[in-house]
This record gives sequence, structure tokens and C-alpha cells, in this order.
Amino acid sequence: MSATTGSMSLASHLPDGLGHTGDHDLLRGTARRFLSERCPAREVRRLAGDPIGFDRALWRELAELGWTGLHLPERVGGAGLDHLSMALVLEESGRALYPGPLLASALGALAIARAASGGQAGRLLPDLAAGRVIATLALVEGSSWELDAVEAAARPVEDGYELHGEKAHVPWAQVADLLVAPFRWEGGLSMFAVPLAGPGIEIEPEVSLDSTRRLARVRFTGAHVAADARLLAGGAVLGDLLAPALAYLAAEMAGAAGAALDLTCAYARERVQFDRPIGAFQAVKHPLVDVLIAVERARSLALAAAVALDHAPDQALRAARMAKVAAEGALLFACDRAVQLHGGFGFTWDCDAHLYYKRALASAATWGDALHHRRVLAADLRRLAGYAPRSGS
Amino acid sequence: MTNPDPRELPELAEFRRDTRAWIAEHRPAAPSFVLPQSFLEVETREQFDYLRAWQGALYRAGLVGFDVPREYGGQGVSPERAAVVSQELTRARAPFLVNLLGLRWAGPTILAYGTEEQKRRLIPPLLAADEIWCQGFSEPGSGSDLASLTTRAEPDGAGGWRVTGHKVWTTMAHVADWMILLARTGPAKYDGLSYFLFPMKTDGVRVEPLVKMTGEGGFNQVIFDGAPMPRESLLGQEGQGWRVAMTTLAFERGVEGGRERGAEDLALVWRVADLAARARRDGAPAIDDPVLADQLVSLWIEAEAIGVSALRMRVPGLVADRPLALPLMHKLVFTELAQRATRLACQLLGTEAVLWMGDQRAPDDGDWPRAFLNSYGFTIGGGTSEVQRNILGERVLGLPKSK
Repeated sequence: MSATTGSMSLASHLPDGLGHTGDHDLLRGTARRFLSERCPAREVRRLAGDPIGFDRALWRELAELGWTGLHLPERVGGAGLDHLSMALVLEESGRALYPGPLLASALGALAIARAASGGQAGRLLPDLAAGRVIATLALVEGSSWELDAVEAAARPVEDGYELHGEKAHVPWAQVADLLVAPFRWEGGLSMFAVPLAGPGIEIEPEVSLDSTRRLARVRFTGAHVAADARLLAGGAVLGDLLAPALAYLAAEMAGAAGAALDLTCAYARERVQFDRPIGAFQAVKHPLVDVLIAVERARSLALAAAVALDHAPDQALRAARMAKVAAEGALLFACDRAVQLHGGFGFTWDCDAHLYYKRALASAATWGDALHHRRVLAADLRRLAGYAPRSGS
Repeated sequence: MTNPDPRELPELAEFRRDTRAWIAEHRPAAPSFVLPQSFLEVETREQFDYLRAWQGALYRAGLVGFDVPREYGGQGVSPERAAVVSQELTRARAPFLVNLLGLRWAGPTILAYGTEEQKRRLIPPLLAADEIWCQGFSEPGSGSDLASLTTRAEPDGAGGWRVTGHKVWTTMAHVADWMILLARTGPAKYDGLSYFLFPMKTDGVRVEPLVKMTGEGGFNQVIFDGAPMPRESLLGQEGQGWRVAMTTLAFERGVEGGRERGAEDLALVWRVADLAARARRDGAPAIDDPVLADQLVSLWIEAEAIGVSALRMRVPGLVADRPLALPLMHKLVFTELAQRATRLACQLLGTEAVLWMGDQRAPDDGDWPRAFLNSYGFTIGGGTSEVQRNILGERVLGLPKSK
């Protein structure tokens, strides 16, 4: 294929209107109102100082709104909604820096929905959909973003498996009831849904840079799990989880970037120096416009990735990688200007800018940073340009 | 390579096939002379005649004017067909439509504000490229601050006017039959402006070429010395000129079709990617270099985002937070992308980047350094990138004006 004709654009694979309906509007509006009332900045700060950092009462409320089962099938008590719906809710949660396992549990549940047998799904999903049980997904093991860099292993024993190994940086493991993760089994990988209680499982909270996404190291020293803890063979399922993971995270990050921009613009409109609001100065105004451009780009690509998951699945992983790259760029830039343009105040604990910045830095380092995904995209691009490198790339 | 879109309705798909076939059969042979890269650089008579003939042929084949009602010589309003034609012309890398100022800026403004007589008289030959349009807005003393302009239209006592003044950066004035002219009819800065459809082939008008930094022409100065303008030249009401001009500028800066804008930007990025695969730096294909490939990836992501944003822009629920952001940032974003893309292309040329068009060994006929330098015509013209940032900062972010 000649590169001059190029590949079809991502946009050309998506439906006009992006599959968006009035229901999506309602969902997003409800999410924004709920979070601005129940999760304002002072609540985020309060939970930042809390040892666990998670409010179970608030979790129950958002479960009542249906968020814990938004994307799960109706037959298990979910709402059966599309990925766009999930992305819009997650974008709002990112705006609010909601501290809780919304993203983690959504992905854990999605992994089970995809990898479990009918019986396993029937056993596990209703509680997850209702938010009574919290899941989390260890998509990567810790020291590498490659999905197959897994050393933790499952050894078959008489009535189940014994698990050995360690998963680092697991989101909300100290709060979750269930960990979904790949383990080495019979020479390959298999996904397991592991109850996070009992002997042989040690959950060591990490000191997270981002207090709004707590992490823990989960160590397995012969922990016993029942036979039906093993879901399907893992390699393909694991790979299929990367696109929704990146798309959802990108949506969260895009939301946070928009909020950080709004925070800085509000300050720039009010802070007066040299007899005028500082937003009148082009050295303040123009960089904020550049942040706006980055934020809108990130928003478009995060939504595109979600819509691709729904309507053009073969485009979804590439779209999700692009979305992650764009989201990192936008969020870090928005935070950089937020701190800098708040001046002396921006450098202090009392300014909200650092809350966004920590979310930015930690999210960047989750499931592959921009540099990691750009490298993969470069290999894609070379292939599409009809170029076969001499060395592997 | 075919780009079948499984969602395209059968009639549209058939129209696409017919259009593609027509273009393949009727496109003009590559000329012996260098073609301009865009409508901004149409300089010589032979370039102009070649391009005008192409637009005329397209018009007579029924492929021009899908944004114009039939009673004014158009094909009837059909954005889907307009998009198909645009995509197919881009895909075939066919020559551009030379009367672009007429098609995109003058024509829509006339359709919005013109009398029936004006529309019927002016639109059909505009579409056919039988009558060419230029734009008389900027002046030596009035660029970004357009409303400060001083070219004046004074009543001639017989219902018409005489024009005196100086316009600059007037693309295609040397071949134009008509000019959309913004001139002063009163002292108030904004309310003293009026918008005219000025007949270029008249006395008292002198067109002098300006030379761009690429050595190309296409731009001109136009000096008016009591040039006569008949009564029916006025578009809209006297004193309404600024509002009418804002309509023209909105067309100039706005987004055309849904996916077609993203397709053009992506097409450019893929041409640069194709160059990267062909060009060699330090004995290896440039695309092999991780640093250069990474820059290409950036451009790729940005181009894809432009395409998606063009779709998102039409969904009110997905732009509710800042509904003006995407339309107002469009020109800024794609012109700066093109600048970075053509700059990267020059880097990909390695040692051969020192050659210019005319040299037999210049890669791709010297297109890339020329395109890169010409990209400034787009980041400066139609509202500079700096002014665009002011507009976005003020109208989208609510930041106070800089004054």
C-alpha cells in the first residue's frame, strides 16, 4: 500500500455523531452535579490526609447511581451501557480527582466479564455491578509495561492453585475485595480473580505520589485459591484489556486536564497585578490557549478511543494509545501552567494545582507513558508507510 | 488503494465512484511549467489558464457548487457530495480550484447578504471560474487591526462611489474580475465601513505584484485612484461592512466539511511519512531514526485529533463545556501542524535540504522547503496565529483583553 494514499483516518471509522445520544448527556450532567456536590476539592484534600484515602459511604452512593455496573450486562444487574458512557463518567471523575477505585473496579469487572465462564461471571458480576464487591486489575506486574512480563505463577494443587509472586503498584488493592491479574500457568498466562483475604496474601500499601489513587504491593506466598478462581487463558484476554484500560485512563486524565485549565483561568481572571487581571497579559493568555488546544485534542482522542471500542474495535488499541499520549501531554502541560501561573501561591500546598499535578505524574506512569506508546506507534507508522526495518522495531 | 466506507449510502458511494473515475479520466496532464502549491502563489498566465480550465471542466461536469442552490448555478446544497468531491480531489492529488477566494469567501458572503440580482449575476460565473475573485481587506497600515483601514469610497453624486486608497496582500488581483472590498464610507471605526463588490477591470486601479520570500508571486498591491464603483456594488447596507466582513472571516477561518479537513491534514502527514521511508540520512532511511519517527508520530496524532474534533464539533453534548473552542481554534491548529510537518520534511532530506526547486536533483522537485516557507502565508494570513490566540483566550477562556 502506498503511503501517499495513506491509511484511512481514525475519524472515518467512527460514526457521525460519535454514537452520542441524549442519554449520554443526562449521564454526564448527573455525574458532574453529583461529584461537584459530594466530591469537591476539600473532600479530596480530606481523603488525601486519610490513611486509607477512600470513603465507603461515597462509594455506595455512586454505586446507587449505577456507576459500578454501568458497562456490565443487564442480566447481572448492570446498565448494559457502552464504552462512551463509561468514558464520560470517568472524565467527570477525573475532573473531580475522585479518590476511589471507580476505574480500577470497572476494569476488574470488565476483565471478568470477558474472561470468565458463564458460571464464574454469574457468581462474581452481580456483586461487582452493585458495588458490594470492589475489584481491581493488575494489568502489569510492576517493573515493565509489557503485558507478558509476568513472573507471578499459579501452581496447581489438589483443589485449586497456589499463587506465588508479587504485583506492584496495584491500584486500591488495600480497599479491593478481588484482584484480577495474570499468573503464569502451564507455560502460558492465565487470568485469575483472587479474593484479597486469607493466608499467603500480603497487601503492603505503597506511599503513592498521588493520594487520589492509592497503590499497594500484593505479595503471594503460596496463597490458596479455589479452582474456579482461574478464568480463561490469559494472553489474548490480557491484550484485549489494554485498549479499554488506556481509553478509560485517558478519559480520566482529559477530565482532570480540563479542570486544571479552568482552575488557572479562574485565577487569571481574578488575580490583579500591575492594575489589571493577569490574564490580560499575553504571556499568561497565550500559553493557556495552548493548554486549551492540548486539552481539546486529548478530549477528542479519549472519546474517539471509547467510541472505537464500541463501533470500530480493530482501531481501538491504536486510538487508545494515541489518547494516552495526548492525555499525558495535555494534563502535564495544564498542571505545569497551573502551578507556574498561580505564582507564589501555586507553589504551596494550599493551591489545588499540586493535586492535579500528582494525578498527572502518576497517571503518566501507569500502563505505559507517552514515550512508551509513541515507540509502539512509531513501529505502526513504519509498517503503514510500507517500510520494513532491518532491525526489529 | 480503495477506501471503501461501509457506512456510505449506495447513492453516495456510486457518486464517489463516478467522481473518482471522472477525475482520473479528465485531470489535466502535468504541465511543463511549475504549478503553484496553493492559490496564494498563482503568478503566471499559463499557471492561471491551466488551473482555470480545470475548474471550468469540473464545474461543467457538475462537480463544483454543492454548497450553492441550483437557482444560483450550483448543484443544490449537499454537504455529503461536497465532501466526497473534496476527498477525491485530495486523494488524486488533483490540481486545486483556482477561484478559491470566490468559492469559499466571496461566494458564501454574497449568498448571505446579496440581493437576488447580485446572486444571479455573480455566482454562476464564480463557480465556473469564468470570473475570478480577489479580496481587498488588508492595507499597509491595517493588518491585524483591520478596522483601522483608510481606503475610502466617496459618493460620486450619481448613486455610486469613487474609491481611493491602497490594499495589500491581494491574492490574484492581477487576474481577478471582482474584488470583495472593505472600504470606509464614514468616520466611525467599525460603523463607518462598507462592503463592496468591486469590478476590477475599470479605470483608476493599478495592480502591482509583491514577491514572497520563496520568490513566487501571486500577491499584489492594489492602488485605487478615484476608481469608479457603480451603485449595485454595495453588499448589504452602508455602514454594515464590518459585520459582513466578519462573515467572510468566519468562512476564512472556519471548518469546512466533517471528515474532509482531517483527511487533508492526515494526507500531508502521510506524504511526509512516505518521504521519510524514501529519504536517507547518514546512509539509512530517515524513518528508521527513532527521533525523526517520534516527531512523525506527534504529527500523526495531531492530524487524527483534527479529524475526530471535526466530528465532535457537531455533537453539542460533547462540546458543551466550551462550544466555541473547536471552531475558533481550527485555523490555528491546522496551519501550525502544516508548518511543523513541512519543517520535518526538510529535516528528512538530510544533506539534500540545501537544494531549491529548479535543480534537477532537488528531492520531490524542491517542494518541501518551498512548502515550509509558504506555510507562513497561512500562519500569518487570515488572522495571525497570535491574533487567533488572543481571540481564543478572550472568547473561549474568558480572559480579559490585552489592552
